[in-house]
Amino acid sequence: MKVAIINGSPKLRESASQLLAEAVQKKLGNQTECAICSPIGPEGSEILKKIEGANALVFVFPLYIDGLPSHLLRFLDESLQDISDKASGAMVYSIVNNGFFEGRQNAVAFEIMRNFADKAGLKWGQGIGVGGGGMLRSVGIGRGPLKKVGNTLDLLSKNIINARSAQNYTVDPDFPRALYIAVAHLSWRASARKNKVNSKQMLVKP
Amino acid sequence: MSSKTRLILHDLRPGDAAAVLPAQSEECLLFAAYPAVRYCVGCYGCWTKTPGKCVIRDRGADMAGMMPKCGEFIILSRLVFGGLSPDIKAVMDRSIGFVLPFFRIVKGEMHHVPRVEHPPDLRYVFYGADMTEREKETAKALAKANSINLASGRSEIQFFPTFRDCKEVLK
Repeated sequence: MKVAIINGSPKLRESASQLLAEAVQKKLGNQTECAICSPIGPEGSEILKKIEGANALVFVFPLYIDGLPSHLLRFLDESLQDISDKASGAMVYSIVNNGFFEGRQNAVAFEIMRNFADKAGLKWGQGIGVGGGGMLRSVGIGRGPLKKVGNTLDLLSKNIINARSAQNYTVDPDFPRALYIAVAHLSWRASARKNKVNSKQMLVKP
Repeated sequence: MSSKTRLILHDLRPGDAAAVLPAQSEECLLFAAYPAVRYCVGCYGCWTKTPGKCVIRDRGADMAGMMPKCGEFIILSRLVFGGLSPDIKAVMDRSIGFVLPFFRIVKGEMHHVPRVEHPPDLRYVFYGADMTEREKETAKALAKANSINLASGRSEIQFFPTFRDCKEVLK
């Protein structure tokens, strides 16, 4: 069985999407031939070769204004026919992560991906929405408050291996939302300070 | 610009735009998403380096500053998988400096705090042949979600089979 994991983050490395992609790749383990690829970066032009003959396409991306990052959307739009031809009959799965706490806020992006699958003549598998994306890299998937994220990816991996469609599923961190927001605010202010931008300047109006 | 100003972000080619859109004026500003602006790289510079403005230096950096100064923000887009076209999305992704990185709770969910007091009303005008009902439902859900995340008081959505059919509603 061949699985292509498409990392749809514009940040090629050190992204939450890369972390999720690697976690799924590990869970699919020896049972599949599984590569991670991206429509951008040095190997971007190779992506159609990488998805050729895939039984499953797993798109992993961050939520951008309730939808897909534009470079991923452009790839799907411009390469629709190629994807349809090269991965004919493949199942389409999506893992979408967002900086908001609630994983359910990724639901519109699932629908966009499902519509893509319909247009490409591929079969929709499942959407997984991961909230609290700000914690993924600092805490680690499957650890502490993100244990459920790990469990969810286990279930997704089984669905991929069995070529199964399943209901979309969203997961939030096991962490107080108010504290998540407070930490996020501190983190934004700290990032700005590093750029010599103070809290008042962050609020500047156009 | 004033609250009466309309801002139309569109993905039409130049000749088509001239045939369909009203002339640019003080009351009606046009922003062409084609040719495509560079895509957002997720650096958050628009929140932490140059607040309110994208750090990538092309015309895509101008939109976040234009949006809050109009009363109605109209997006004329080809419907792609039930959402915005890649050219339009590239402009929108580059415009998240329009809101603040900070969060608030709206209807029980976490969302961004608006940067300005009176964000514009939103109107989506989608065109395209062979739209499916599922795609239209997706677009409606997208408009609803965007109106919360862009802190807009109101959002409208319209569908047309071709961009030429949109002319009347953009007058």
